[in-house]
Amino acid sequence: MLKMKGGYTGRVLSFDLSLEKAKVGDLNEKEAFLLLGGKGLGALLLYRSLRGKEDPLSPENPLIVSTGPLTGTIAPTGTKFSVLTKSPQTGVFLDSNCGGMFGVQLKRAGYDMLIVKGAAEEPSMLIVDENGAELRPCRLWGVTTFETIAELKKEFPNRGILVIGPAGERLAPISGLLTDDARSAGRGGSGAVMGSKRLKAIVAGGRRPIEVYDAEGMKRAAWVVRRMLRLHEVTARSLPRHGTVNIIEAVNEMGALPTRNFQKGRFDGAGELSGEKWRSGLWRRDKGCYGCTIRCGKIAVLNGSWVDGPDYETIWAFGPNCGIKDTKTIAMANYLCDDYGLDTISTGVTISFLMELYEKGFIQDLDGLKPMWGDEDVFLKLVEKACKGEGCGRMIEQGVARVSGKFPGSEAFAMHVKGLEMPAYEPRAAKGMGLGYATSDRGACHLRGYTAGQELLGYGGGVDPYTIEGKARLVIDRQDEKAVIDSSGLCFFAFYAITLKELHRMIVACTGLPYKDWYELMRIGERIYNLTRLFNIREGLTRKDDTLPSRFLKEPMPEGPGKGQVVELEQMLSEYYRLRGWNEKGEPKKETLDSLGLNELLKTNE
Amino acid sequence: MQIGKRLRLKRIFGEDGRAVVVAADHGLMLGPIRGVVNLRETLTRVIQGGPDAILLTPGQASSLIDLFYGKDAPALLVRADWTNAFRDKTYTLPARVIRDVDTVRVEDALALGATGIVVYLFMGLGDEDEEARNIEMVSVFSRECEKQGMPLIVEPLPMGERVTKANYVDLVALSVKIAAELGADALKVPYTGDPYTFEKVVKTAGGIPVLALGGYSGVTVRDSLEVVEEVMQAGGSGIVYGRNIVQAQDPGEMVRLVRSIVHEGRSALEVVGAAKKGRISLRVEPALCVGCSLCAAVCSLYHDGSIDIGRARLRVLQEWPSGAKPVVCVQCGKCISVCPTGALKWGSKGNVELEEKLCTSCMACVETCPQKVIVFDEKRNIPLFCDLCGGVPQCSEWCGTAAIRIVEEDA
Repeated sequence: MLKMKGGYTGRVLSFDLSLEKAKVGDLNEKEAFLLLGGKGLGALLLYRSLRGKEDPLSPENPLIVSTGPLTGTIAPTGTKFSVLTKSPQTGVFLDSNCGGMFGVQLKRAGYDMLIVKGAAEEPSMLIVDENGAELRPCRLWGVTTFETIAELKKEFPNRGILVIGPAGERLAPISGLLTDDARSAGRGGSGAVMGSKRLKAIVAGGRRPIEVYDAEGMKRAAWVVRRMLRLHEVTARSLPRHGTVNIIEAVNEMGALPTRNFQKGRFDGAGELSGEKWRSGLWRRDKGCYGCTIRCGKIAVLNGSWVDGPDYETIWAFGPNCGIKDTKTIAMANYLCDDYGLDTISTGVTISFLMELYEKGFIQDLDGLKPMWGDEDVFLKLVEKACKGEGCGRMIEQGVARVSGKFPGSEAFAMHVKGLEMPAYEPRAAKGMGLGYATSDRGACHLRGYTAGQELLGYGGGVDPYTIEGKARLVIDRQDEKAVIDSSGLCFFAFYAITLKELHRMIVACTGLPYKDWYELMRIGERIYNLTRLFNIREGLTRKDDTLPSRFLKEPMPEGPGKGQVVELEQMLSEYYRLRGWNEKGEPKKETLDSLGLNELLKTNE
Repeated sequence: MQIGKRLRLKRIFGEDGRAVVVAADHGLMLGPIRGVVNLRETLTRVIQGGPDAILLTPGQASSLIDLFYGKDAPALLVRADWTNAFRDKTYTLPARVIRDVDTVRVEDALALGATGIVVYLFMGLGDEDEEARNIEMVSVFSRECEKQGMPLIVEPLPMGERVTKANYVDLVALSVKIAAELGADALKVPYTGDPYTFEKVVKTAGGIPVLALGGYSGVTVRDSLEVVEEVMQAGGSGIVYGRNIVQAQDPGEMVRLVRSIVHEGRSALEVVGAAKKGRISLRVEPALCVGCSLCAAVCSLYHDGSIDIGRARLRVLQEWPSGAKPVVCVQCGKCISVCPTGALKWGSKGNVELEEKLCTSCMACVETCPQKVIVFDEKRNIPLFCDLCGGVPQCSEWCGTAAIRIVEEDA
């Protein structure tokens, strides 16, 4: 019999908002062994909580916060937790991986996972501690995130806090969650799910120690990781100094920096937005999440106040993507989105879509504003309207897919997959990224299948970005790796320097779970990808949903190193399915599920 | 083995069979990176530290040959191939497809006065034709080296799209084995990150000397030296350091430090003098703190065997977004002076010590502490004090940004 001896708290807290009842259950050890935690265990719980086709904003849809066995330990970058729910934006699986102190505090309260079901009658907040959970009325409904956090911090100074902003309250499909240290679980609309439950905030914390199975082994393993982070250029220098935006010029050089809603892959102002420009400009401090010495987080000063410095994706979504090169405008838009609880990528991409609609004559104006590329004033006004849900902002907050539905003929340049907006790498100039976007379980996502490191940045020797040969394997490996990393509690960025070998050593030392080797961890990733696939099939997704906007499939890249390229998606997709052990329709074969133990796992409900 | 080969290998590995090699062939692969632009100046300083050998490109070898004059001069190793594989996005013209070609023949290296040649062997390339060409190149070198009595040092590296986060170590082992089978006389192998897996790699080499390579340089000298220590523990025959040495503040001193680990068997901690003997105290640099709280987690694990940042003998003030600040015991002694029973006294490291049986749990010390770093253990009913970890404070050891530093007090 398996026995977890550390890392995990071993307890799962569920809270039904409708009944105002808490229930504490035990973590199933066999399931933990098969799916690790975080994304993996959360996905199983989500799969079991639903039957398919429910309205994501109905009380039945759970909001799950799930930590990994290494969250809150001494594992460097052991800060992460996942938020899982059915996305109101896509109607399918959603997991959103987030840093900061909240996951650590949930474990200190004594729980690996928190499942919130039902809906409260009035605006509320959930207080989680060692004694369970308590629902309290919240008078901060309508208040922005930063003010909410500041208020709650007065009452709960040493707790982790997860809040929604006004956007989530009014069920904006592109709204996210924000932690008290300004990390966000932004993508896919988890904010609206929390809003639909009339839950303004979750406060968690306690004094429960996290046990460690083999303290000496853990110290040695974690020390090796710490040192490896200090010996790799990306984790020791690039990210600490220039944050995630350190890559912007290189991506631009490769013609893969989507510009003006993916019309082209090079932006004239990329140099204005480089890490060095931010560092010598608005940034003032480095911020590390819990246990993290990489410190990619940056704190900026804007108009005299401290704000969270935007990251690469945000800088791109508001910058090159909308034709903007002013750091202040981008930082301001980022601040507004955080404060009102909107996802920055989705907001930026929806606005760039409107700009292209305007350029192409689909619209004449938006509330009297002419959304032109690079017009900073108009851009900021649109962001503000989206944040506040005023006028055309009610449209922007719906996201690209829904807006595009109102303009027949705009589908080709509506930049989303499965309803989730595209992130900051041009798939025609990095075809593995294209396949990754098309097959990612939550819709277009750059991190689930991050081949850009090899295709564009040359990490690990580099791969030809334009060939489709070998890309299916490459994407599968990256997806499985990411799934297991997101289940461990560690941050993806640590894996520039370390491999699953180091993760394996820490997990074994910390939990005592008998994983033979690191290949077993890869199998966990594969298992998770099949599980989320089953979830999405149950929601009605088919092969035709594993696609890209037709701009990438039909319009050749107009200029730059990738000139003339389109994404030959169907060929890659067939190979991808075959290597995954799925049929031509993209459904996992029985033998695939059997070999992963998934059939058995899903048979035994509860 | 040809006599010439044996003789030349002895020039590199010497009496104890170990070697400290400095790689300075980056210019060919990476362009003008820091430390290799004025190579003569850098190498002049490197040589003062007494490396066993220096790895250069053929061009540099001929123009710097005078550095290798004399009986005590280091041996000259020549890089015999070129690759674009390391040119990631931080370099001009990042590589898109990996290529590796030979640049000199063995007789050219002989004419340069080389004591050995070094070539790459990549494992994990997506293009298997390229893999085959790479194997062919190494085997041609191997045959030629055998004829000419020239030691062949192969550098096996996992590289390319088939490398995953899971198969890395196995690819190192596989390529080491292949290199050995092809007739390598020594290997220059990437460190796998920990001594356990590296030991397996060394065993795979089957007695052929394994030198670990460095890659990027560490944040501190100690990071790099720890790797050297572990390599030697794992049975390695030495180290090939490039950027760790040529980009060091004092390259000669760095070579000396590495030598003392490789040839004298000292530990990294010893070499950098981290273990303090006398009284110490902790000094905090709030501007460097990023608020990660690793110090607190480590403190509780070291002292209590489980992780509870609220139980650490220090705390991290989080004042998001304006900053964060570690607060540690500053040994002000106020707790000692308010203790009504005399249960508190100074320890040998300058820390506060509690004599448990005198403690009445009156909380006077906890309440008095201006830093608020005395935690009360409710189970044992006693206050907990920073013990400076017996001279090696773990908060400072683990801090990634040197926000907590150790200061030696005059004895």
